[in-house]
Amino acid sequence: MRYQFNWSVLWTGESGLWLLSGLITTLELSIVAWLLAAALGVVSGALRTVRFWPLRVAATFYVEFFRNVPLLVWMFFWYFAIPPLLPQLVQDWLFAHGLEFWAAVCALGVYSGARFSEVLRSGIQSIPRTQLEASVASGLTTFQAYRYVILPVALRLIIPPGTNESLNLLKNSSVALTISVAELTFQTRQIETYTAKAIEALTAGTVIYLILCVSIATIMSWVERRTAIPGLIVGGRQRR
Amino acid sequence: MRRWMGFVMALLVAGVTPALAQQKSTLDKIGETGTLTIGTRTGSPPFGYVNAKNEWVGFSIDLVDELIKPALEKKLGKPIKVEKKESTPPTRIPLLSSGAVDLVAETMTDTRTRRDSVDFTLTYFVTGAQFLVKKGSPIKGIKNIDGKRIASQQGSTNARIIRERAPKAILREFPDQPAAFQALAQGQVDAYTNDGIQLAGLKAKSPNPAQWDIVGDFYSYEPYGMALRKGDADFRNVVNAGLMEGIESGKFFEIYEKWFGPKGELPYPMSPQVRSFMLLQVVPK
Repeated sequence: MRYQFNWSVLWTGESGLWLLSGLITTLELSIVAWLLAAALGVVSGALRTVRFWPLRVAATFYVEFFRNVPLLVWMFFWYFAIPPLLPQLVQDWLFAHGLEFWAAVCALGVYSGARFSEVLRSGIQSIPRTQLEASVASGLTTFQAYRYVILPVALRLIIPPGTNESLNLLKNSSVALTISVAELTFQTRQIETYTAKAIEALTAGTVIYLILCVSIATIMSWVERRTAIPGLIVGGRQRR
Repeated sequence: MRRWMGFVMALLVAGVTPALAQQKSTLDKIGETGTLTIGTRTGSPPFGYVNAKNEWVGFSIDLVDELIKPALEKKLGKPIKVEKKESTPPTRIPLLSSGAVDLVAETMTDTRTRRDSVDFTLTYFVTGAQFLVKKGSPIKGIKNIDGKRIASQQGSTNARIIRERAPKAILREFPDQPAAFQALAQGQVDAYTNDGIQLAGLKAKSPNPAQWDIVGDFYSYEPYGMALRKGDADFRNVVNAGLMEGIESGKFFEIYEKWFGPKGELPYPMSPQVRSFMLLQVVPK
């Protein structure tokens, strides 16, 4: 009646290889999606704070539209609903060249971008308005003021919530298995299929995600301390 | 860091072990709660699916309701009710091991590997894997799928065989049948492989059945059984007795007729070999 553990399924046969290839796919997917999300987040987050209202409305629309629909739905949207809108030739090319992966990148990147955007906006809005006014008064254009004064400060301020969102992105990449991307969670299920040892396979996946996320969090807290602005951000931990 | 990981592992082990160790026999559990919880499918007609009237029905569900439930009631001496939960190939064994369901009655192939983790009842259906393609597709069977994109259901026996016997095929594995079929309908994949009977069910339920062809000889042998937690012989005996009585009395064949007969959901006459195989599984009283 008791479940019999057999941990050796994790290193016998091809299990190790599967986990490794799943880990690589998860990292590839997360990194590419993160770049997309960061770019979208910075642009739309900044636009949400500008004076010129049409840009503000456009950015608000992007954020509210994409963050308020479940990620799973976005996965199906990019994989099933977008290709039929494209010309047949493009469709065939996409189907033959890993559409799953790019659909997952778009779904994850655009969705997370909307969440990054809010993080950045809160960072920008925590900077006193007078900084922007002073920059503009010193002769910078609004773009230059954001590029050289506001964003460099805001991006440092948002490292803790930004790390949080980045870890979410990494973990959310597991949803891509619904559109047949063979990432880490997919591979743990694969091991379960071959060995019928579900708990061992799930534990392996859990531990890998945990190690990955804890490492990123550790690195980011180091970055946070290194880039802290004296006087503005003291941080929870004083440097001795 | 190392100290930290040790702590996490300890937590995981401490969380998992007692939950597994404390399980009591399934018969006691059903006797106490008055409920038999089964795991079954929502999108695999006609074994377990949600029909046009939004009812959760199917051949596998009927076998539980009409053969296994009465046997359990007789054994326990009290009425019980059957509760259904959704299970899929990747979730069904964990659902069973964790005690969330007591019996998996869906479309599960009995295999020797799976018998290391769960026990199976008698075989109640026999089929084999084929391919579903758009009419006019060049795919005719497992011999010419090299370089083609083949959808399969993750966690099924089919994907495993394709990987072994046609390593050049490009496998795309989906967690459930509707997503895989959608990918086939839109052309993301060239064929969808699953057990022949499931493809027939899918084809019959699709908006335009004439558009689809089921091709290829059976490239695998897929005997369906219901899965139970490993090592609970008392419960398995009662479930098997229910199935045997059904086969003996003919009730099993009536239910088969209801779903697969000429007027059933999916006409699929039982071959004489399968009929005698079913009868031979019944041991004397």
